[in-house]
Amino acid sequence: MNQRSLLGALGALMLTIVVLLRAAPATAEPYLAVMTGYKCNVCHVNPTGGGLRNDFGITYAKVLLPAETVDNTLDSWTGKITDRLRVGGDLRTDWSRDTQPNSPSTQAFALEQFRVYADLTILPDRLGIYVDEQVAPGGSQNEEAYVRYGSTTDGFYVKAGQFYLPFGWRLQDQTAFVQQVSGINMTTPDKGLEVGWEHSAWSAQFDVTNGQANASTGSGYQVVTQVVYTKPIWRVGIAGSSTQSDAGDRHMGALFAGLKTGPIAWLAEGDIVQDDSLERTLVGGLLEADWRVLKGHNLKLTAEYEDPERAVRNNQQTRYSFVYEYTPLPFLQLRAGYRHYFGIPQNNAQNQQLTFFELHGYF
Amino acid sequence: MNSHSSTALSRSGMVLSIALLAACAGNGDGLDANGQPLVPGGSAPPPLSADFESIQENIFTPICSVCHAGASAPEGLRLDAADSYNLLVGVPSTEVPSLDRVKPGDPTDSYIIQKLQGHAAVGAQMPDGCPTTQPCLSATTIGFIQQWITNGAPPAAASTATAVQSAPLAVTSIVPDNMEAVNAPPPQVMVAFNHELDVSQLSTLSAHFEKLASAAAPTVIMQVPAQISVSSANLRALMIWPAAPLSAGHYRLVTDATSAAQISDIAGQQVALGVPDERGETVISTFDVEALP
Repeated sequence: MNQRSLLGALGALMLTIVVLLRAAPATAEPYLAVMTGYKCNVCHVNPTGGGLRNDFGITYAKVLLPAETVDNTLDSWTGKITDRLRVGGDLRTDWSRDTQPNSPSTQAFALEQFRVYADLTILPDRLGIYVDEQVAPGGSQNEEAYVRYGSTTDGFYVKAGQFYLPFGWRLQDQTAFVQQVSGINMTTPDKGLEVGWEHSAWSAQFDVTNGQANASTGSGYQVVTQVVYTKPIWRVGIAGSSTQSDAGDRHMGALFAGLKTGPIAWLAEGDIVQDDSLERTLVGGLLEADWRVLKGHNLKLTAEYEDPERAVRNNQQTRYSFVYEYTPLPFLQLRAGYRHYFGIPQNNAQNQQLTFFELHGYF
Repeated sequence: MNSHSSTALSRSGMVLSIALLAACAGNGDGLDANGQPLVPGGSAPPPLSADFESIQENIFTPICSVCHAGASAPEGLRLDAADSYNLLVGVPSTEVPSLDRVKPGDPTDSYIIQKLQGHAAVGAQMPDGCPTTQPCLSATTIGFIQQWITNGAPPAAASTATAVQSAPLAVTSIVPDNMEAVNAPPPQVMVAFNHELDVSQLSTLSAHFEKLASAAAPTVIMQVPAQISVSSANLRALMIWPAAPLSAGHYRLVTDATSAAQISDIAGQQVALGVPDERGETVISTFDVEALP
């Protein structure tokens, strides 16, 4: 596909989503943000979402999200150890069964992750230090550690250190095709500098980092920028990334949007990646619907598409997921899900079926 | 929002849903199992499954051995078909020596899984540069490796075939290879055999390093302190670990033919390595460590 065709495809995708959004009147699970109409920084310390929850995020987790609230016992818990130090964490453990054609099914219990977060406020609303550490499984591994200067609620801020890059929906499911295609997710932090701006309905970030490909080369860089416009029942964002690397440059674009229709939150994202190192163009797409069946109950349906190499025909993959999330109590979530992959018939892994039951504890 | 608008929104969502649901997976015509166009006359590797042969053909050879091969293989880890099993299974990683690269039955504590998943304590996620310059292995692909490890990390069926077992004990591969020049001190020298070794017969006399004055004049300057080991996870690979990184120079790996600590298999067969020299030593391999730039 030539550049003109690429731009045409991206333009068509943008137009499609813009048209769909125009149909709407002006009226760390990002679906929660779409459902509530909040920006990421309303619930999270990190203005780009995910990780440690702030006062409102904790309140939301205690009162608004679960099916049943717990009186008194949790009233005093805000995540704050002192006025200046806030902590939190996420633990996910699951049982999963993987079935693939021509292979025996496999099943296992696994500790998917245990992460702890801390935020130290040095100067209120101006200067702080944030840490996100994965302590299990395996050895302890730092995911994010940065110094933050400025306001993350209204105005400019600067992050310096190691952090997740802003690029599209920051989904909990790191195996989503759009996260695999872009390679930017919550397991791939990078080191560098981020300048962010939060004002009214706008959120914007501009990042300059080493680039994952340049971690061991000492040369090259990655530039990422993202702009999101948020309204109460819809939002739209656009992101771009360019990596200069000895191994070959990589350029990416993403358009993503969210929309609330009654009890359903819709999320959509389209990514296109031009990878010069492998001389290929990749495309990924996501459509997610989250239906708040009852308070504390969410049904998540996703349809995904990936073309791992545009120049090769007949190699596209799709994936469909059905996930039920039940939050019976504050800080406890049970998830049950089924994912079905469809790919080329000669590759068993591209045609697998995954069933899982997950327990998610957080604070 | 009025009901008309709500209906329009729902319809819009439905349109997008249907568009994505209607997107079909490729039928795979003209592609190999990795989704690449078939080369005329070429043969596609078998689909990926949880056995070593399949993992080698689908992952280690096409993806990992692009870097992990030859004299400059990172960490001395060669993942070509001849060497990968013996350098992986039961072999401590050089980055985190407390963890084996592959610990049979325990994928969680197998360093290769930590490296592929990107949460190893040292170094970057593999394949190097992923996800920016190349895709990381998917969770499913890594799952096949995990399953192979869970199954005990058995070797390829061909290496345990009856014909191989009935053949005389012999060396099948050496890393660094004989007469090879490596551009970094090898963390270990590996000598692989076609049979499982009798570890009760092994000692530091079974094999040792000698540093030579030059490749042309093999005068022994010194014997290099080293430890010898055979992992219980892979009794076919003899590992010789230098006590300190080898400096630039010429080396040879020898066995003392006069020692009782001979290299033999569990059937008592001794390996035939050639005629001993005047010192009673038989050279297994010679190699050069080049000076770092």
